[in-house]
Amino acid sequence: MGKVKIKRKSTLIDMTAMSDVTVLLLTFFMLTSTFLQKEPVTVMTPSSVSEQKVPTANLASILVSPEGKVFISLAGDADAEMKDEWGTEAIRASVLKEAVKLYNQQNPSKAIQLSDADIATFSKINMFGVPFQVLHQFLSMSQTEQDKFISNMNDKAVGIPINDNKDMEHLNEFQIWMRAIYNSGNDNLQKAIKKGEGIAVKADKDTPYNTVHDVLDNLQTMKMNRFSIMTALKTEQD
Amino acid sequence: MAQIEQSDKGKKKKGAQKKMSIHVDFTPMVDMNMLLITFFMLCTTMIKSQTLTIALPSNEKIEQSEMNKAKESEAITLILATDRDANGNIKKDDSGRPMNTVYFYEGMPDVTDADGDGRLDNNKLQAEQFLGNDGKIQQGIRKILHDRNKKVLEKIEVEKAKWRNKEFAPGNSAANDSIYQARAREIRNDSTITRPIVIIKATPEASWESLISALDEMQINQISRYQIDNINQVDSAMIIDYLAKHPKK
Repeated sequence: MGKVKIKRKSTLIDMTAMSDVTVLLLTFFMLTSTFLQKEPVTVMTPSSVSEQKVPTANLASILVSPEGKVFISLAGDADAEMKDEWGTEAIRASVLKEAVKLYNQQNPSKAIQLSDADIATFSKINMFGVPFQVLHQFLSMSQTEQDKFISNMNDKAVGIPINDNKDMEHLNEFQIWMRAIYNSGNDNLQKAIKKGEGIAVKADKDTPYNTVHDVLDNLQTMKMNRFSIMTALKTEQD
Repeated sequence: MAQIEQSDKGKKKKGAQKKMSIHVDFTPMVDMNMLLITFFMLCTTMIKSQTLTIALPSNEKIEQSEMNKAKESEAITLILATDRDANGNIKKDDSGRPMNTVYFYEGMPDVTDADGDGRLDNNKLQAEQFLGNDGKIQQGIRKILHDRNKKVLEKIEVEKAKWRNKEFAPGNSAANDSIYQARAREIRNDSTITRPIVIIKATPEASWESLISALDEMQINQISRYQIDNINQVDSAMIIDYLAKHPKK
């Protein structure tokens, strides 16, 4: 009987192919991803059969927490570097300046001053929602402090005040922000608001109607009658 | 851990060049890539949320005489209400659906109480639920609205069949879609057909979800004329009366 020779094989596996695949996957995810934006409260939007997509550019979204606190998030033009357009950060800074100007006009006795550093910080924040009087204090905090501050729904200094909804001449703070957003200088955003695509209202599905109605009523007073509501998708069956 | 292996088995010739085979071990690279992929997968939002566009009337005061009046025979009013417990949490029924009730009445409200017993004499209010479809059959409030808008829906159904068979523009699905949409819009707004006018009202404690569901029913039932309005005393009186006559179990 001849000896059976057992060939010794190396246990090394060539990982090059595997590496290729993972790099491809990684590229795919990097290119398709839009990051989850930080929001002070997580809301479950109600579902609807409507299939319109949320615009990613030129959008002011209004978040209404179940407690009735209001937050606003702004997005400017999609590729601002390409043309002479308004990027998200530029639009936020412009809106802030405009809003502070309006606020000081309406409340000369309580006028507020913001430094350039405050404005720079503001343009980095995705979602804001504090009264004007607390704005400077809020913008001077570190990022973690800001997140902590704004997620405390029981604090009176959180959320944009929406009461005192009177008329076009006497704006409350929420209306000042909306007016500032409308007059931000970005024509595309203004056009989107006129068309009803520039404002999106986001509220939890369990939120009582009168809480959301307060916000809608404010918008109606501003004659911003057309807007969209953020929803999740469902089928006609349920 | 690039390995440079030398295949030498002791038979070396002097001066001969060494043969080297180069293996680069990619395992750490793969590890790192996998970590990055995991990170991106967890941070992305694949499901994009949808929007529903609505238009509300402006808040300006309008004289009674300038208001557009809805025809009584065409008007149907929906009043949304949600059952909540003492803490404000929404009650759920046995199948886990939130307890959203849709009260509705047709035409003008009637709150006469001639005999003075505290009960309305002819309360037209009825209650329904958002139940969706059971297979192809409409249920709950959808059935009511479907029946009221039957003529429009029947016409649209004919167009829909054509759209499915791509009859509008064979081989061009975008044109097919847009022609169908235009036709459907025409039918929805055709004033020669009897169509309902829906007035949607919500009680203060009604959930936001129920309002969206009501707006959804408008889309599903192809109702072009609807409006969101504020609830008034007559409506609340009718609900109170309804609940008094139909106590909840």
